[in-house]
Amino acid sequence: MEGIYAFGLLAVFASIVIGFWALVRENDDLHRILLTDLAEILALALIALVATDLAEALILPGLVVGISELMAISEVFLVREGLVRQPDRMLQIEVMDSAPGLLALALVGYGILLSGFSGGAVAGIGVIFYFVCKGHDERFALLETLSGYAWAMWIVAFFIFMLLPQYWFFGVLIAGAAILLKVAGKMSLVGTMRGGANV
Amino acid sequence: MSVEFFLGIAILVIGTAAAAFPRPRTYLTRLINLEIPAWGLLLIMLSFDETLALLTFVAVTAISTFVIVRVVERRNAA
Repeated sequence: MEGIYAFGLLAVFASIVIGFWALVRENDDLHRILLTDLAEILALALIALVATDLAEALILPGLVVGISELMAISEVFLVREGLVRQPDRMLQIEVMDSAPGLLALALVGYGILLSGFSGGAVAGIGVIFYFVCKGHDERFALLETLSGYAWAMWIVAFFIFMLLPQYWFFGVLIAGAAILLKVAGKMSLVGTMRGGANV
Repeated sequence: MSVEFFLGIAILVIGTAAAAFPRPRTYLTRLINLEIPAWGLLLIMLSFDETLALLTFVAVTAISTFVIVRVVERRNAA
């Protein structure tokens, strides 16, 4: 086990050297952003080699911080380069015309089956994919209403845990459904980032 | 130790080289090559039974792809 760990560590450090060497030689800023993504993957591999629950506990916040950092950097990049205006012609790949309906249906269905945080993430990905590929009308009011109901469900579940602890399973189900709605709703907003009528 | 681990390490190293020095040197090529080390990382996580980390990494990779594609298409249009 020790040898395996040392071998893995050596390989990952070699990759990190390659990655940072490329980062140093790069002049284009967008290429640098992409290489930052590579550096993130390598850092996560370094943590994953710890191979215990501690690794998972460290990877999850790392991922969340990574995605928010990427979003912030990309926004800063767009503003600095003056690219805030909508392009006339978007990137069109054939799979973006044919896949969204079926794939979104499958992902949302599976997400509802999973429920909870992971379910919300899976369902949210489905909705994002649909919004990005097919475009969207402004239905933010609907998402806000959904979020409000999810919040109320959350509070109800909390009171069940506190006042009627013998019905804990009912509370778990309510809380799981609520966080599913919450996470899926929030993530679907990402799908509207590509632009549209009023964004 | 498992096959997944060594396969994952190999793919991680190869993919890092591919993403660091893509050919042709365009944004889209580099973005697609980035999937290779991500696959290596997934295999490493799989070999250590890090289920939750694996699933979340898949979800986050999907979102980050959307974010990057958005920047790339605006850059290319400009």
